[in-house]
Parts: sequence; C-alpha cells; structure tokens
Amino acid sequence: MKYILMMHGKKGAWDEYARWSKDDLQRNIEFMHRFNKELHDAGVLVDTKGLAWPQDAIVVRAGNKGEAVTDGVFPESKEFLAGYWVIDVETSEEAYKIAARASAAPGPGGEPANMPIEVRQVLGSHNDLGF
Amino acid sequence: MKYILLMAGSKAGVDSYRAWSKNDIDAHMAVLTSINRELTESGEFVATQPLAAPHEAKLVRGLKEGMPITDGIFPESKEFLLGYWIVDVATPERACEIAGRISAAPGPGGVPTNMPIEVRQLAIRASQS
Repeated sequence: MKYILMMHGKKGAWDEYARWSKDDLQRNIEFMHRFNKELHDAGVLVDTKGLAWPQDAIVVRAGNKGEAVTDGVFPESKEFLAGYWVIDVETSEEAYKIAARASAAPGPGGEPANMPIEVRQVLGSHNDLGF
Repeated sequence: MKYILLMAGSKAGVDSYRAWSKNDIDAHMAVLTSINRELTESGEFVATQPLAAPHEAKLVRGLKEGMPITDGIFPESKEFLLGYWIVDVATPERACEIAGRISAAPGPGGVPTNMPIEVRQLAIRASQS
C-alpha cells in the first residue's frame, strides 16, 4: 500500500526555519539524505520532493472563460506543504513508524524538530476512490 | 522548471463531492484524463497522484524512543490534499494556465468546479532528480 508523508508549516514556521544556524541546517539536511537513502535501500521509497519557499505560492482559479485567475494572498492559518515522501509499505503502522522518524529529524541544537507529519494513503487512480 | 499543482479541500468539500451523480463524476474525470493526456503529449507531464479520502488521515510525531504517536483530530478548517500534478514547464505562467484548466473541470451539472489550485515551484535540488 502506498502512503504519502507530508510536512506542512505555516509561514511563521518557515520564517523560523530560515533563521536556523548553518550547523543546524546542515545536520537536518544530512539526516534527510541518510533517511532517504535508507528508505531507498529498503525498497520502500517511491518518490520524495521538496517544495520551494511559500512566498511565491500562487492560487489559481478558473475565470468565466476558463482563463487562469491568480492570487497570492493566503490566510495566516494556511499550511504550506514543505515536502513529501511517497512510500510503499505493507501496513499503516509501518508508515507511521517511518513518519515518526521523519518527525524526529534534528532541529536547532540537534533536538528533534518534532514536526507533525500527515500520513495519508495514496491511490492508484481516481477509480480507487470507490464511487 | 518543475511546478506542483496542489488540489486541496475541507472534509465538508470532500463529502459534497461524494454526493455528486455518477454522470457528473464521469464528466469531471474525463476532463482530468484528457488534461493528463495533453500534458503527456506536450512533454510537460511529470506525475500525478490522487490521495485517499481524508477520513483516515493521521498526524504523526516521533517520541524520543522513536515510537510514533498518532492523532486523527484535525480542525474543521483543515485543508486536506486531494491530489497533485507535477509539471515541467517553460514559465510560471504556463503552470498557472494548466492549473486554471484543472480548476475549470466540470462539477455538478457541468458547471466548472472553480476549485482553487495552489501552484508551487519544486525546490531546485528536488527538481533535478
């Protein structure tokens, strides 16, 4: 079964991250590289992506004639996706264990960042939604 | 340039979607399928992925011993990711144009859903992989 593990944060959390020291950032990035390699070597990693900073996020809606109407204003409560992993595991418990490891990635001073990770099943296609 | 187009909605939005007629769902899916096909033909398609309904979503944090603690309670305002597309396009405007077409996919009675689609660039390192 495939699961997606998502890291989100409000703009405030991104601003804090931007203030991490170089050492703290380096430690976090090294953890992520090791973690990704381990998932890859274990055969469970399907895909992982990081997203660019949310300052450039745009929301698009279709206008009356189907044209793209863009807007860059979001409510303060808005959670921005920072990155995700898609993994292929046997059970949801395995997915939660891997998510817990991602959550424990080191933050400032090497302490676990304790980021909440949202875990959701992903589908093969829209037909699997079960309508 | 790689962009991710994110479609998100609240639980209430997902529940109303589940109440659509079969014809409305088929018409909606047909448009999304044809957009995917067009993007494949133009070489802009990278990936797309629908997510399961949000009712089983969990938030996970790690304890010191590495054991997961899970929580399934979300605020009502929580926006759940419903699915995403990754496209490789020449300009941000093109990414927005594609997002506009997804937003214009038909909903009940053939009226465009007008769903907001969030457009974000992938981090450079990730987009090279």
